[in-house]
Amino acid sequence: MTDKDYNDCVDNFADGVYRFIVKNIRHTEDAQDIVQSAFEKLWVNREQVLPEKAKSYLFTVAYHQMIDHIRKSNKMPLSEETAIPHQQITQQDAELKQVLMHAVNELNPIQKSLVLLKDYEGYSYQEIGEIMHLSESQVKVYLHRARLILKTKLSAYAPTASKCN
Amino acid sequence: MQLNESTYETIFLLYIDKELSPKERLEVEAFIANNPSYALEMEALQATVISSDNIQYPFKENLKQQGWNATYSTIIKEDLQAIPGLSTPFKNALKKEATTKGIIVKPFGFNQHKFTYAAIAACLMVFLGYQQLTKVPVSNSIAANKKMEVFSSAASPIVETSISNASPKAFAKNNEQIVETKQIVLTEQQAITKLQASNSSKTQRTNFLQQELIAMAEPTPNNGSLNQTVITKLSSNYNNPITINAIASNSIDTETAPEENEPISYEVIDTEDPDRTIFIANFEIDGNKLRGLKRKITSLFKNYKSERNQ
Repeated sequence: MTDKDYNDCVDNFADGVYRFIVKNIRHTEDAQDIVQSAFEKLWVNREQVLPEKAKSYLFTVAYHQMIDHIRKSNKMPLSEETAIPHQQITQQDAELKQVLMHAVNELNPIQKSLVLLKDYEGYSYQEIGEIMHLSESQVKVYLHRARLILKTKLSAYAPTASKCN
Repeated sequence: MQLNESTYETIFLLYIDKELSPKERLEVEAFIANNPSYALEMEALQATVISSDNIQYPFKENLKQQGWNATYSTIIKEDLQAIPGLSTPFKNALKKEATTKGIIVKPFGFNQHKFTYAAIAACLMVFLGYQQLTKVPVSNSIAANKKMEVFSSAASPIVETSISNASPKAFAKNNEQIVETKQIVLTEQQAITKLQASNSSKTQRTNFLQQELIAMAEPTPNNGSLNQTVITKLSSNYNNPITINAIASNSIDTETAPEENEPISYEVIDTEDPDRTIFIANFEIDGNKLRGLKRKITSLFKNYKSERNQ
């Protein structure tokens, strides 16, 4: 990968990686740090990474750094800024999208990452498996399970949202 | 792909995940069109798909190639400004005064100069020992050496001279005589072993050996067809050789074999060189060299004492 290829990666993939991470951990500064670390690693290993594999490489590195971050933060109590109270959202935000995002946030980290990678980045099951070190069938099963959970939660939230509106 | 009540959910999920082929997607759409009751199911599943947000990474420029250097340089500058370093008085407080008096290590009564000599002497001893060990080719035992020597001295008058000068016919006779001399050598070996066992004095042993060898040598040249021999056999490995020099009356230069047997005279060259070889287990040490080494070491210690007295 040349320096120009690297800069193209920044233009094309930085937003996607950042979106994926910030939606997962819901902390902008930590997400920025993770994105910066991912690109730093890409820069260091740019000679070994092919340009066509750069996006997958970035998401893989960012995903695993995010997992490490989540493990560390699970040991510490969540700060009040990052913790979004359930009642507050249901009362203030009635839009379906926000309810959906709230439901997504309640998924476990693997299911959440699967949904975000699928919906935001449009990765195939195989690509998601490569990023998250899962088999294709595992991706399929976990993702379908996550969709059904979201469907159940949306059906539970939808009446509340409609009542609020 | 078969769409029915049991499989529709999985196929719908694959549809919203865009994992179906265009043909399969058409089949699903056709199924929903034919079965409107499943349209709500499809809508509910479609609702779980998150639409993309317009979230952007705010520091994209800093990630670029030029941005890295700029970012790191600013970070380093900020760090340098934020942490200027320790003050000079604090650094001075960390320093320790250099010690003026060094620690004197007293010698343990053994001068380094002498230690060098001792080391050289030790190396020399090892070298000499190794030389002695590698010097002996086959066997380290003196008995074997002496056996070989006696055998060669007994056989050589016949073999060495006759091969060079005698005719093939005479050579055949020589072979017969070699067998005889071997028998003689066996008796000679027995005599030598007796000598070793008796622990007699060295002069007695040499005299006895002379007598034995003379007695053995007398019958051997009793051949009319053979050239008379010159026995000058000395073993280089044997430190205490008894040389028997048998000078024949007829010279070896004459090609015609003399028919008359001339008497052989034997001359003892050296019998006084004492055997100073020391045997330790299977090792053989040259006594002369060991004595020289001992002298050197004692001279070293004498010098050391004289220096110490001065």
